[in-house]
Amino acid sequence: MIETSDLKKVYKNGTVALDGISINIPDRVTAIIGRNGAGKTTFARIVSTQLMPTSGNARVNGLDILKDTKKIRNIMVSIPQEASPIGVLTPMEQVKLFLVGRGMSVNEANTVSSATLDELGLREFKNSPSDMLSGGMKRKVFVCMALAANPDVVFLDEPTTGLDPISRFEVWSAVKQLKGDVILTTHYMEEAENLSDRVILFEKGKVLEDGTVKTLLSRFKGKVRVELHHGDNYDVKVGSMKIKYVDSRDAEDYVIEGNTVKAITLDDVFLIHGVEVES
Amino acid sequence: MKLNLKFSLLLAWYYGFRTIKRGPSYVIASLSSPLTLLFLVYIISRGELVRFAIAGGFIGLVASVALSSSGDAAFLRLQLRIQDLYVASRVTPSDYMVGLTLSYLIFSIPGIVLYVILGYFYHIFTPLSSIYLAMILVLLVISTSSISFIISGSISHVRNVWGIAGILSIIMTVLPPTFYPYTYIPKVALYALFISPATSAAVLVQGIFGLEALYLPALYIIIGETAIYFAVARLLTRWREN
Ligand SMILES: Nc1ncnc2c1ncn2[C@@H]1O[C@H](COP(=O)(O)OP(=O)(O)OP(=O)(O)O)[C@@H](O)[C@H]1O
Ligand SMILES: [Mg+2]
Repeated sequence: MIETSDLKKVYKNGTVALDGISINIPDRVTAIIGRNGAGKTTFARIVSTQLMPTSGNARVNGLDILKDTKKIRNIMVSIPQEASPIGVLTPMEQVKLFLVGRGMSVNEANTVSSATLDELGLREFKNSPSDMLSGGMKRKVFVCMALAANPDVVFLDEPTTGLDPISRFEVWSAVKQLKGDVILTTHYMEEAENLSDRVILFEKGKVLEDGTVKTLLSRFKGKVRVELHHGDNYDVKVGSMKIKYVDSRDAEDYVIEGNTVKAITLDDVFLIHGVEVES
Repeated sequence: MKLNLKFSLLLAWYYGFRTIKRGPSYVIASLSSPLTLLFLVYIISRGELVRFAIAGGFIGLVASVALSSSGDAAFLRLQLRIQDLYVASRVTPSDYMVGLTLSYLIFSIPGIVLYVILGYFYHIFTPLSSIYLAMILVLLVISTSSISFIISGSISHVRNVWGIAGILSIIMTVLPPTFYPYTYIPKVALYALFISPATSAAVLVQGIFGLEALYLPALYIIIGETAIYFAVARLLTRWREN
């Protein structure tokens, strides 16, 4: 459970990264989505006590991020977006070291690390130096740390960026096994839909949408997305793509006219906000 | 201060030994400057000051390895985001600093072995002096790597660290009287150079090995310096960024 009150972050160069975020995140798995630079990473870093807010406060399971820092750190794991393993260490060593840092015995850490790395498909590589791993494998090493520690609260900042489809499924299933609350950021709407009970849409440091996947999609009830190849009567334009939301009963007419018709996804929640609508 | 020593030791073991094993170039690089100076001192003094240079070699080696590690610590923090990972966990800045400091001590082992062999041939050791030397080197690695952490924690981009580390390495290891008798430099300059823990270490070592008169205040200076540099590093190791 995370509560924030009027959380603000202004970086030294004047960039306003968070512009007063007040939200409650009670659900088990929550996805934070938003365009590049929306403030997702800044939010995750502040709430996981890596970065000081400029003003405002937050609580994690009732613990104050400014006053109960130590207690929060005991119950959480936060995987940075750009984390990269130490090249000379093997995945086994990195995960083990992390677990021992969290107070596990070396023996137990050994067993748990090995099992978790196997589970995420790194069996063959777990004893090779990390600088010989591919980018996606490196990413998975960090997901393994979160999995193996299995704490009360987990922050995963873009855990599946750069992963192949199979690896992504492996990570998804691993996330589902985590016992604690999970807050993840992602650019994959499919991932947000698949994993999370709750979706929060950030834009320019503010919360634009906050709700279950179902409520977010409900405004599109009975509609489909048409990507127009003809005509200029659109709702949203992204680059040269023109999009119109129409009643699903009319879908056939649009198909016959040669347009592409698609089912509504979380992408559409994104689209109607993220893009200036010219009308 | 309660340390998670298991973590620090494991970090040092993995990071220190793996780096040596997988990148011998690192070892050669760390040996090159003390050995070059040893060679120069040997040639210029026609062999007369070689025992000073060997004694100082221990100091120069440990100090330069620990100082150049500021680049390393900055890399872990800014590029690999490893520090961030550990910030949000039970690991404390002291655990992390102790672990990395021990790694740097491990990085210096091959060089230390080489100097021990040289020292053996030039008969500079007694059993007691070797113990004192070991203790001084431990203080030195703590104080110099604290300076590294102060640098690495206060920069915002890795590229800034290499230059600073290079300059510092000269001030901290080449200028101090590590390779020649400390009585050669004017008193004023010597006092100024006490800012570097390598100076007090070198002065002490020359006394202990009977190469020069023992200047005991240097002992208090190095202990004081180590405590101060460590405390400042601990304070400035930005465990939570602003
Ligand atoms: N260290 C920093 N100093 C100055 N500005 C920063 C810093 N880190 C981030 N910013 C700025 O803050 C804003 C939010 O960045 P943030 O990294 O939180 O976005 P994000 O939503 O995670 O983006 P992405 O999807 O690309 O990861 C951006 O405008 C970014 O340029
Ligand atoms: Mg981000």
